Amino acid sequence: MTDAAPFNSDLLTLTQWLSPAFPLGSFAYSHALELAISDGSVGDGAQLARWLEDTLRFGAGRMDAGLLVMVLRGAKVDDIADLARALAPTRERWEETFAQGTAFARTVSSMGGEAIPAMALPVAVGVAARRLSLETRDVAALYLHSFTANLVSAAVRFVPLGQTEGQRVLSGLHDVIGAVASGALGATADTLTSAALAADVTAARHEEMPVRIFKT
Amino acid sequence: MQRVNGRAAVVMGPRGVIDLHQSGSAKAMLPRVHDTAAEVVFLNTSGGLTGGDVMRFSLEAQAGTRVVGTTQTAERAYAASAGTAQVCVDLSVGAGGVLDWLPQETILFEGASLARETRCEMADDAQFCCVETVVLGRAAMGERLNNVHFSDRRVVKRGARLDWIEPVQITPQVLDARASAVTLAGQRAFSTVVLLARGAEDGVERLRSVSREGVTAGVSGWDGKLVVRAMASDGWPLRRYVARILERMRGTDLPRVWQ
Repeated sequence: MTDAAPFNSDLLTLTQWLSPAFPLGSFAYSHALELAISDGSVGDGAQLARWLEDTLRFGAGRMDAGLLVMVLRGAKVDDIADLARALAPTRERWEETFAQGTAFARTVSSMGGEAIPAMALPVAVGVAARRLSLETRDVAALYLHSFTANLVSAAVRFVPLGQTEGQRVLSGLHDVIGAVASGALGATADTLTSAALAADVTAARHEEMPVRIFKT
Repeated sequence: MQRVNGRAAVVMGPRGVIDLHQSGSAKAMLPRVHDTAAEVVFLNTSGGLTGGDVMRFSLEAQAGTRVVGTTQTAERAYAASAGTAQVCVDLSVGAGGVLDWLPQETILFEGASLARETRCEMADDAQFCCVETVVLGRAAMGERLNNVHFSDRRVVKRGARLDWIEPVQITPQVLDARASAVTLAGQRAFSTVVLLARGAEDGVERLRSVSREGVTAGVSGWDGKLVVRAMASDGWPLRRYVARILERMRGTDLPRVWQ
């Protein structure tokens, strides 16, 4: 293995940005999975897998991947930041993406990267990742993986599920993540769509929960 | 092969109608109302939509004008043998104006293919309220839809800035997953009511106290937006809930066609 191609450390940079240790406060956000668990819609590994798969295919997964891809492909950042803001279906959904995006931008900037203004998370990640020599689809897939892993972690704590069961669910979603990342490659502002109607109602109802552990 | 092509356009100023155009099977009526807001009722006289149909409604509330726009009946989208029915709704609200776009529900039938785009351009200090209710087949008829292509996009620009997008898309894949707590939670009817205005978010508590009998609903408010999202097993309980929400939100009676 001595004559391998030069090592591409950009992969490690992206992995670091999207790891649970990167200080975005992600552990506090459940994407309203908390309410889906409380009301009994998600009570075991199989139901969690289904909920995550549908969120990736029909909801925020597909939407965020599309926004990220548009930024990577060179779209005007302000336009995509506005688009992300306009697409937020509820207050908590906006706070979830904006607070994490803002923390991401601040951390990357203070690590010596370019200054990124406060904006939704997929847009901020897209701006930072423009300088990485990585395939667009791989960046989108790793982003979706990070999003999914964070929700698995929320479910492991709150359902609760065994750690291994959580990891099994996450592994089982690799193909879906790949498919959603591939599907996002042709994204444009006019083709971003959602069918996560019930999840959006749940997100609004999460704001009304009298006792809650997660911010969203 | 185009079956229906209609366009109805109305421009309202503070003292009444400024311009009215209607062609094809689109009509716009201006009933006499005893209210501070003028009312415009749009109608598709062909009785429904199918592949290839094109329907355009446009309504402008000029500066300082209050207007309520609605539709005469529920819009029905029937099976399309070929092509997609297109509905374009163009709205605008000038400075200090108030526009309520309150169409009746859209009922989709098996095989329907419909693409609707509702666009609104509003001034920074204008107020815009919009409702869309969609019913996927009629429960009383035992209809269960499997093959529907429905795209319903609402885009609002406030001042120069994009402010609100609701990009709903229902496909056979979504209907396959209809039991999912993410997509339709097994429900047949869904609705979004949105109010865009300065300080709109202050109305959250008032709307949360509206009875949710027969529906699952949530209310959210932020950044000059007040949003109500609701679902129900059929159109009727949802229609009643939306009517209660609109009455509370607007503090005035609904257009007569709603009653």
